[in-house]
Amino acid sequence: MQKYEKLEKIGEGTYGTVFKAKNKETHEIVALKRVRLDDDDEGVPSSALREICLLKELKHKNIVRLYDVLHSEKKLTLVFEHCDQDLKKYFDSLNGEIDLDVVKSFMYQLLRGLAFCHSHNVLHRDLKPQNLLINKNGELKLADFGLARAFGIPVKCYSAEVVTLWYRPPDVLFGAKLYTTSIDMWSAGCIFAELANSGRPLFPGSDVDDQLKRIFKLLGTPNEDTWPGVTQLPDYKPLPVYQPSLGLAQVVPRLSARGRDLLARLLTCNPALRMPADDAMAHAYFHDLNPSVKNDRC
Amino acid sequence: MSHGITTRSKQLATLKSYKDSLKAPNKRKADSPLKDITAKRAAFGDLTNAFNKSSGNEKCMPLKKVTVEGKMLPAVKTIKPHTAVNSKTSKGRQLQKVAANAIESVQKHFVKDLPKPIATRAQNGILKNIVRKSLDKENQNQSQSSSAKSARSDVSEASLYTTALENNSSPNEIKEEYKSISEKLDKVNLDDSDCRSLDEEVDVPHRVPAGVIDFDKENWNDPYQVSCYAMDIFNYLQSREPLFPIDDYLTRIKGITAWMRALLVDWMVEVQESFELNHETLYLAVKLVDLFLTRSTRKLPEREHLNKEELQLLGASALFIASKFDERIPPLVDDFLYICDGAYTLNQLIKMEIKIVKTIDFDLGIPLSYRFLRRYARCARVSMPTLTLARFILEQCLLEYSLVSLSDSKMAAAALYVALRMKNVSEWTPTLQHYTGYALSEILPIALLQNAVLHKKPKSAISTVRNKYSHSIFFEVAKLPLVDDALLTS
Repeated sequence: MQKYEKLEKIGEGTYGTVFKAKNKETHEIVALKRVRLDDDDEGVPSSALREICLLKELKHKNIVRLYDVLHSEKKLTLVFEHCDQDLKKYFDSLNGEIDLDVVKSFMYQLLRGLAFCHSHNVLHRDLKPQNLLINKNGELKLADFGLARAFGIPVKCYSAEVVTLWYRPPDVLFGAKLYTTSIDMWSAGCIFAELANSGRPLFPGSDVDDQLKRIFKLLGTPNEDTWPGVTQLPDYKPLPVYQPSLGLAQVVPRLSARGRDLLARLLTCNPALRMPADDAMAHAYFHDLNPSVKNDRC
Repeated sequence: MSHGITTRSKQLATLKSYKDSLKAPNKRKADSPLKDITAKRAAFGDLTNAFNKSSGNEKCMPLKKVTVEGKMLPAVKTIKPHTAVNSKTSKGRQLQKVAANAIESVQKHFVKDLPKPIATRAQNGILKNIVRKSLDKENQNQSQSSSAKSARSDVSEASLYTTALENNSSPNEIKEEYKSISEKLDKVNLDDSDCRSLDEEVDVPHRVPAGVIDFDKENWNDPYQVSCYAMDIFNYLQSREPLFPIDDYLTRIKGITAWMRALLVDWMVEVQESFELNHETLYLAVKLVDLFLTRSTRKLPEREHLNKEELQLLGASALFIASKFDERIPPLVDDFLYICDGAYTLNQLIKMEIKIVKTIDFDLGIPLSYRFLRRYARCARVSMPTLTLARFILEQCLLEYSLVSLSDSKMAAAALYVALRMKNVSEWTPTLQHYTGYALSEILPIALLQNAVLHKKPKSAISTVRNKYSHSIFFEVAKLPLVDDALLTS
């Protein structure tokens, strides 16, 4: 640990404290995530094991880089590239409304990072603004893979206790354990709307029921016609029948028609119909994306 | 020893048959919870003196002999009746009782000399584990009985946990699929062409040559097949194979033989069954063992090489790591200590864990033959019995040190080819060549090596895989007549 000088605490990850630190030789600023290894415990926490392993594999411009893993007697230290802030803090720092070109750029980068994860058989399972890092160059990076996992084909059943409530898709809210890349696409949709509204969360539910109601008030309550199999989900419960309300124009007033179309395809209750990341990248909404963002090779 | 029904799903699925089995004279299913105990043995019997505590040696001897010969602890026999007797009590309590009884009788037999804390930890672990699993089961069962139409995701969960019974239908079919085990056994074709029409607007990026089934396009609307990424993912996995070379490492290690490795892997298969682990977990763990031995013996001076007393510790730690990586509910550290029969301490296991992950540089994304095989079999619409035969071949080959350095995708392709020929289903088709990327000539040498493994005289000390696949749940594929090399080369 002599190599790094701790500067300040940045926050808490899924399983450990994160510090900003400086490499004493190169003066490079990094983020250190400390994982305690207690003798009396279950060894390396599976969340840490998965995060390390998955991030070692996922080397991409839009995914936070794991430089190194240091092991000392009672702890593991993960050395990450440092980013100035996360999207949540970025929202907080906005004076007034977000630039719509920035929305487009961030959204595209989010989708590109996700497409990379998904095509390398990894589900993130905890997408939210706090877990998206932003650096000075306006680059967005997926971070905190503590809940991520590799998936097989066809997928098996995984935990239903994933994704922070506000960003959790209706199928998982109904207890679905069989899910796939679509789980992240819902979160991406929620984040898209939040971006377009300069940081106002789309579905800030207080509990699972409230969360579902908020979703269905906007999109309409699904039934066996719109979503075959929904009533068979483990925790399915009949909820008030809402008709698709307002329309997205009122929810994300600043977003263009194309943007709203993309949003609707991501915020699709039936996971089978939700748009995958690489299709979303090809959506007409991005046709006028700044070429420097689009062509940024990874 | 009754092998076979080890999949969680089966128990989750069929409360009724589970209960029936408790009453029935043949208690095949009832012993499932006890598998934890049957796997609890020294992997090496007399070969490895895993119990290095000299005073404990004598007491362990009877166990070792039994395990090597029959692989069954005397304790198991004594316990079985409990399962049947207690069938009226709530299942959680019952299992707890069974486990307690089991541990008691096991202890009576041979654990007097074990360090106390381990035994207690082990008990905790196994009890927690069993209770946890049984609660899980009860929840599942409740949700099933409460609504006649069983929850779709439960259904899929159960069917997707299975191995030989692996569900291969579209989501629409999953419900019907899941009625009873016997019905499932009849439903053995992977061909699900009857259940979906092609979406005209679908744009599949990877084009297939003429005469090849476009599996991903046909499955485009089944989200669980992740068709839009399947080709990318498997190409990616194949491209990663060269990152994990395994060499002839035993030439560098004194005191560990190919036979000991075979005993170890045989035991690992038993643990996989006992804990009802995914097959991916087993295959990953075996990889970790081979990779660790390859890399550590290259890097470290000879005196720091693993010795034979630590071989089972390596196997258990590898399973521990692989479980954390792949399992939804991995067994606890205490469970792994328990199945090593108290030969190692918590501290040893934890230390070995970190040693392994550091040696393999935390890269657990190792391409596994098991995953390739499923993909190839699905793409070629191979029937379930044939896929199961190929799985048997692969699993039997896990024990074979001489095959450790071969590519996993080639092993999978070759095993599938041998299975297709053994069952006289087909030749190596253009579809298979397309999805595996291999011409027959590239995999034939491996197929012959695998066939030679099948022709080896069965040895009782390493019979777990054979027993497992002799069960009806696995279509008794291990009992199929073997074929001559000539048939493979013709």
